[in-house]
This record gives sequence, C-alpha cells and structure tokens, in this order.
Amino acid sequence: MSVPLRRVVLVDDHDLFRAGVRSELGPTVEVVGEAASVLEAVPLIKELDPDVVLLDVHLPDGGGHAVIAQVAPERPGVRFLALSVSDAAEDVIDVIRAGARGYVTKTISGAELTEAIHRTADGDAVFSPRLAGFVLDAFRTGDAVADAELDQLTAREREVLQLIARGYKYKEIAARLHLSPRTVESHVSAVLRKLQLSSRHELTRWAAERRLI
Amino acid sequence: MSAGPFWLPVALPRITRVERGRVLAGVCSGIAEALAMDVTLVRLTFALLAFASGAGIVVYLGAWALLPAPGEAQPPRRRRIAGTVLLVWSVILALRGLGLSDSLVWPLGLIGAGAALATGSATLGLDRKRARVTAIVLTAAGIFIFVGGNRHGSATTTLAPGAVAAALVLLLGPWAWRLGRERDAERAERIRTQERADFAARVHDSVLQTLALIQRRPDDARRVATLARRQERELRTWLYPDREPAADGTLADAVETAAAEIEELHGIRIDVVRTGDAPLDDRTAVLVLAAREAMTNAAKHSGADEISVFFDAAPGRVALYVRDRGAGFDPGAVAADRKGISESIRGRMERVGGTATIVSAPGEGTDVELELS
Repeated sequence: MSVPLRRVVLVDDHDLFRAGVRSELGPTVEVVGEAASVLEAVPLIKELDPDVVLLDVHLPDGGGHAVIAQVAPERPGVRFLALSVSDAAEDVIDVIRAGARGYVTKTISGAELTEAIHRTADGDAVFSPRLAGFVLDAFRTGDAVADAELDQLTAREREVLQLIARGYKYKEIAARLHLSPRTVESHVSAVLRKLQLSSRHELTRWAAERRLI
Repeated sequence: MSAGPFWLPVALPRITRVERGRVLAGVCSGIAEALAMDVTLVRLTFALLAFASGAGIVVYLGAWALLPAPGEAQPPRRRRIAGTVLLVWSVILALRGLGLSDSLVWPLGLIGAGAALATGSATLGLDRKRARVTAIVLTAAGIFIFVGGNRHGSATTTLAPGAVAAALVLLLGPWAWRLGRERDAERAERIRTQERADFAARVHDSVLQTLALIQRRPDDARRVATLARRQERELRTWLYPDREPAADGTLADAVETAAAEIEELHGIRIDVVRTGDAPLDDRTAVLVLAAREAMTNAAKHSGADEISVFFDAAPGRVALYVRDRGAGFDPGAVAADRKGISESIRGRMERVGGTATIVSAPGEGTDVELELS
C-alpha cells in the first residue's frame, strides 16, 4: 500500500524549531508553507489549503486557537495538530476545543510526528501520553453532572486513555485489549469529541489550576 | 526653565502671538492655537475677566508683553518683567472681583509675586540670588500684611495658617514633587538593575554553563542529551515555581523527583504523566522505592532511550506504570538469585499489601505495574 503524500503548513514562531521539524519529517510529508504568526498563518493556510497544519499553541500575536477559529469556517478540510513545549493546560484546552485533532509535545521524534501527521490527515485523533493524562484528570468521576453522556468517559475509553498515558501506541493498545486498531481509534475520537463539546465546568477550572508541563 | 531653582511639574505648551487672524496683538489667537481651542472661547474668557475689576484687560496686556512675537525667540527683559507684574496685578484684580477683601487679596498678590519670582527668575532673566531674596521678602511681607490686617477679624485664626500653608505649598510644592519623582524613578531603576543582575546570574550559572559543556563534548550524543534535559528541567522549575516538587511533598512529587534523578544518573529520558495525587506516607514511600528500582532497571538494561511513567492516583488506590520499548527479557529465565526484581520490586510491594506485575518478553520491551490500595 503506497502512503499518500501529505501537504503540511508549519506554524511556529521559532525559526530553529521549524527548520528542525522540516529536516526530521519523513519523505511522505511535504512542508508547503511556513508561518510565524497568526497574521501570517491565516491567509497562507487559506491559500495553500494543506492537508494538515502543525500549529504551535503559543504564537506572538495570539494562541493557536485563533488560527483555527479564522481558518476552519472557510477551509473545513484542513486539519490541525497542536504542538507545544510546555503550556498551561488552559491553552491546550483552548486549541483542542477550537477544533484541533490532537496535541503532541515538541520533544516527539521525527518518525512519530510523521505518523501523527498521517493520522491527523486521515481524520483521526492524536493523543500524546500527556494529553491522555490530562483528559483522565479532567474527566475524573466525581459529582454527577446533568449532561452525563458528554461529561463522562465510558469504561472502555478510560481504559484506552490509561494505556495511552502509559506510553502505549494504538497498535499495542489494540493487541492488549483484543480490539482492532480501528476500534481503538474510534474510542479516542469519541474522547476528543467529548473534550470539544463537553460543557463540564471542571474542565476549565481544572485547566486554570494546573499547568501541563 | 530648567535652569531655575524649580521646575514647573508639567511641560507647558509654547505660546506665541500670531499674525494670522489676530484682532489686536494676536494673544487670544496664539493661546487658542497652543491649547488647540476655539479662539472665540479664549476671547470670551478674556472679555468675562474684564468685568472683574478690569482683570481681563490687565491680563491681556501682561500676556502681550510676556508672549514672544511671531519669529521672536524671547521678548526683551524689561518687557518680561512688566508682563509678570501685570499678570500678578491681574490676579489681584480677579480676586477682588470675586469679592475677597483687600486684607486677603494683597497678601495673596504679594505671595504670588514672590512665587513667580522664585520659580521664574531664569525665564525672566533676573539674577538668581537677588530674585530669591526678593521672593522671600515679598512672601514674608504678604504673610505679615495678612496677619496684621486680619488680627481683629475672625478670619485671622482660621485663614492665616491656611494662607501660610498655601504659600509654602506654592513655593515648595514643585520642588517636593520633583524630588519625589526622582526618588521613585531611582528606586524603580534600582529594582530593574537588581532583577537584571539576578537574571544574568541565573542564566550564567545554568544555561551558559550547559552550552559551554555541550560545545566541549559535541560528539557525545548521550551526554549532550542529558545536559540539555537537565537544563530543561532546571529552567522549568525556575519558570513555573508552582510546580516545583517540594522535598516533603506529595506522592506524585516524589515520583517525579525520583524520575528526574534517574534521568540524570543514566542519561535517559523519562516522561512522567500524572493524574491525581496522594499523600506521602510510610506505605506510599515504598511505592516510590519500587518505582525507582523499576526505572533504574529500564535505564540500565533495556537499551531504550525513553521510559514512560504513568502515575494514577484515585481515592483509596494508587497505581504506577513503568514502560520501556527496549530489549525485554524472559521473566521465567531470570536467575533466582538476581535480587533486583524479586526483592526490590515485588517483595517490597507485597510487604505493604500491594502488588507488582511485570510483563516482558525478549524484543518486546518491559511493563511494570505497581498497585497499592
């Protein structure tokens, strides 16, 4: 099976980091454009219409969520993958709730990032162990909430997230839980959807109280 | 202005008389232009003031004398003195126009003139020392007349101290204000310098040292990575002090501290993900020791360059997972006398009523699950 070439726009205000990412990405990913700010990124993404945008959570003129908010309505086909060094949880929440398909830390290896880009382009959710831990914490069972379905994780989703937090890859999770990789993927996507739609008030409060480092 | 003993606290806009659109000498037009006001409004003010015993007329003449003509840098000295006298006179007239008695107005006028002399001697082109002496004499005379004139009235007791205070404020106010500002600016500058020095020291002790070390050993990839990682951790604790694990902190903090130490010792990357927390006590401290052993084993034997640690605490139950994608081993084949796993991990956990599960196979990496409930 041949892997399709993915067109990627890189949005990060550090030249060095962009150069590093460019050189590390595999041959199946082509960086078609780069931007260092929200102001530069928005028209560039609209013009290039890439498969995936690698988006720094922090930009000098606003968060990554501002880019998504301005691009997504016009270019629904573009998918966003958030990338950050060490961010306050509320920033990550912002960018995920704005519509990013996932969140990875900048220490991710080139091969893993390439894989994450493909997964994002396929419309799948990409969770780093850190994001998984964060979601588990935020959705910790406790008080009963009105909109139960959106505000609770199923036992299976919790199980999957715990394995992601432990450093398992989707394939390994599938093997361990005797599921198909596709099913694992759909669980993660369901969690992402809950994260984006849940009105769970703890989410915001929790995020404000804690930094994701 | 700055040559005088006092500064005015604000920068006054420079006013000149203008030729264009003038009716008399161009005073009103000049003021209107400098203050960006409607000239009609300025003229109206002067006209209204004229009703106050003719103060408006006098002030106009004073301004005419004081304000430089178009293209003129400064009016000659005699005109400046005349202008100042006229202005002070106009103030006296205005105060009388307001209905204040002579016994109040004259002292005020004298004190005002003293203040004008003291603050404006340089502008007026007067000898500084003589101007100051004159200013003091005028002020003293003003106070004297005021106290004398009001000795029998009820105003004396209430107004005299007020007048003296007002005179003092007029004379000393600008000077005190400037002094205060200078002191504030000085203190702010001192704090800034201090902060800069702290920052420089911090960067020098940490980042610059690390960079120097890296430059000396650029080909030792493992050492470079360790140095970078340690530096990263240091900077994080500095930038986000609220997350600094305390020595007598919680269980999750203890796990992170242990991970950081092993990272440094073995030059390996350990990613710790934590959810929830629990207090650190005799039982949970054992969990930390077992976790430390599991991380050390992974660092020493797996050959992997990264270890994943997941700490998950819920009420009544604490779990900790250590995972690597390294060489793995056959748990059944480990010699019974190898104490590492059987004693340091499993035995330890079981003694405090917990469990330890180790899953591994050659080439599959290793999973250690520690649980305490």
